[in-house]
Amino acid sequence: MRRGLVAASLLAPASALMVLTFVLPGIWLARLSLDRAGGGGVLIEDVSASNYLRFLTDAFYYEILWRSLWMSVAVTLATLLCSYPIALFLFRTQSRWRGALAVLTISPLLVSSVVRTFGWMVILGDGGLLNGALRWLGVIAAPLPLMNNMLGVMIGLTQIEMPTMILALIAGFARLDPTLEEAARTLGAPPWRSFLRVTLPLSAPGIMIGCLVTFVQGISSFVTPKLLGGGRIYVMATTIYEETFETLNWPLAAAMSIILVAVFGLCVALYERAGRRFAT
Amino acid sequence: MPPLVDPPYLALRGLAKSYGEGKPAVAGIDLDAARGEFLTLLGPSGCGKTTVLRMIAGLVPPSAGRLAVDGVDITALPAHQRNMGLVFQSYALFPHLSVARNVAFGLEMRGAGKAAIERRVADSLALVRLAGLRQRMPRELSGGQQQRVALARALVIEPSLLLLDEPLSNLDAKLREELRDEIRDIQRRLGITAVFVTHDQVEALTLSDRVAVMNEGRLEQIGTPTEIYEEPASAFVAAFIGRTNRIEARVAAGDATSSLLATGALRFSAIAALPVGTVVTAMIRPHRIRLGDDRMTPDEATNRIRARVRKIVFAGDVVQCEIAAEGITLLVESPTASAGSAPAVGDEVTASWRPADTLVFATP
Repeated sequence: MRRGLVAASLLAPASALMVLTFVLPGIWLARLSLDRAGGGGVLIEDVSASNYLRFLTDAFYYEILWRSLWMSVAVTLATLLCSYPIALFLFRTQSRWRGALAVLTISPLLVSSVVRTFGWMVILGDGGLLNGALRWLGVIAAPLPLMNNMLGVMIGLTQIEMPTMILALIAGFARLDPTLEEAARTLGAPPWRSFLRVTLPLSAPGIMIGCLVTFVQGISSFVTPKLLGGGRIYVMATTIYEETFETLNWPLAAAMSIILVAVFGLCVALYERAGRRFAT
Repeated sequence: MPPLVDPPYLALRGLAKSYGEGKPAVAGIDLDAARGEFLTLLGPSGCGKTTVLRMIAGLVPPSAGRLAVDGVDITALPAHQRNMGLVFQSYALFPHLSVARNVAFGLEMRGAGKAAIERRVADSLALVRLAGLRQRMPRELSGGQQQRVALARALVIEPSLLLLDEPLSNLDAKLREELRDEIRDIQRRLGITAVFVTHDQVEALTLSDRVAVMNEGRLEQIGTPTEIYEEPASAFVAAFIGRTNRIEARVAAGDATSSLLATGALRFSAIAALPVGTVVTAMIRPHRIRLGDDRMTPDEATNRIRARVRKIVFAGDVVQCEIAAEGITLLVESPTASAGSAPAVGDEVTASWRPADTLVFATP
């Protein structure tokens, strides 16, 4: 009884904050999504599913959802592939530079993703560092289209999400004991089989958490698709922004937000189930 | 060079390992083991014994030297091609695999058939008396059970060598003894050659056919447990194996067979021919010193001192007395059976030992 009381009082501040900043606005948003928009941002109170129907029947809109999903999955996989070796190295190394390297790895988190995205624009643009260098070297004649398209968005997102992924992976490597790999080797496993049979399964908890966080960040990303996409890449977050501030169709924006949250919840639930089966 | 026992099954020649600058971890070891022999590497932590074992397993590349098993040089062979059964101090069971899958791992790596794996895993688990636990996960087992699974996992691949890296160190005293006997029993039954690493002299003496005592990356002595204990080759070995009293003394007189040693007013003799005037380290095992005058043999009467009891510790099967005489302190161990006549603190007692029990070493 008393323990329950203590727990409740400890949870109270966080719960209050959640209710105030997430649940209540969420309810308000859900209500708003049932209204209709008149021309020029006029709100017409109503209880109709018209916004949802429009989203789900208009190819322009449901393709945005689809694009957001596959982009997030692709970015998550790319981030995992790029981050795993770094995380494993940082976890394993005995080097005295380990601390410095770890700080260096997560230091991008100190810079806002807006700034990091601008950094990528400098690198990836037609006259950017990368194209400039390649042209100077004579590798290419015309600049590669690395920006204002999906490729640019994905490159930017991957790099921006890597520090988070690396942190999650390292946190999940707790069960990784180098002795286990040695055991595998003495039992006849060549390095690659030892990796597949021992290292990889044991780092699954880190991979699960890292991928979930990265996926969530990817599907809700706004700045990077907006800037590196050059206004041509429509994903959920950017479209919601446009419906809110440019088209002024708040009910549709609200409906899209609710759909995004629902997709989100569905993914997390599926993931959770898959993860539980995998973990045992 | 150690004596060659038959043609050696395992042969280490000048095996060395250095990590960067400074003293090498292992400084050129020559060591042999006969087929079916139980060889123990004994030494304090940091003496290089584990490094030697890891070099045999192929987990650490040697800086110099060669090693061969059954006449085949395996120095350059990677660990996964060596067919060694290694048992770790930390068990190192795969936490995500069941007991059966852990044991099957080595067989799967060798591409054994499903039926063969099934049968051999069952046999191996029966060997370590864990047949009923095949579906358990490692975390559901006790430490002793986990180490038996590790043993089964190492044995199931029919390794050319069974390597044991302090396998008993994480277990409590009773379990340690039980598993120790079990390891010895299984090793004898299978006739497998075993190399065992430990810092525990009791384990080394009870398990081994031969013991190699290591210190600071070098071999101090190789011999049977009896040889190591009774005829230690160096002061280090004498001090490391069993308890010992250490006395710095000068050779006061001597002939071709024995010497008289002196420190302060204390005189005692040893069976050793030593040049008069040299300073030596004498060591006497606490349980070789007798307290009291009764039934003293003439031999024992040679080294006889009067001393005062300073401290008495009852340790179950033995009573430890600290006695002081002529400025030196001696530790004496007597079996509890004779403790009825045990002295009390402050008593004056007679202590004696045979000259043959005075071990003499050159002072380093």
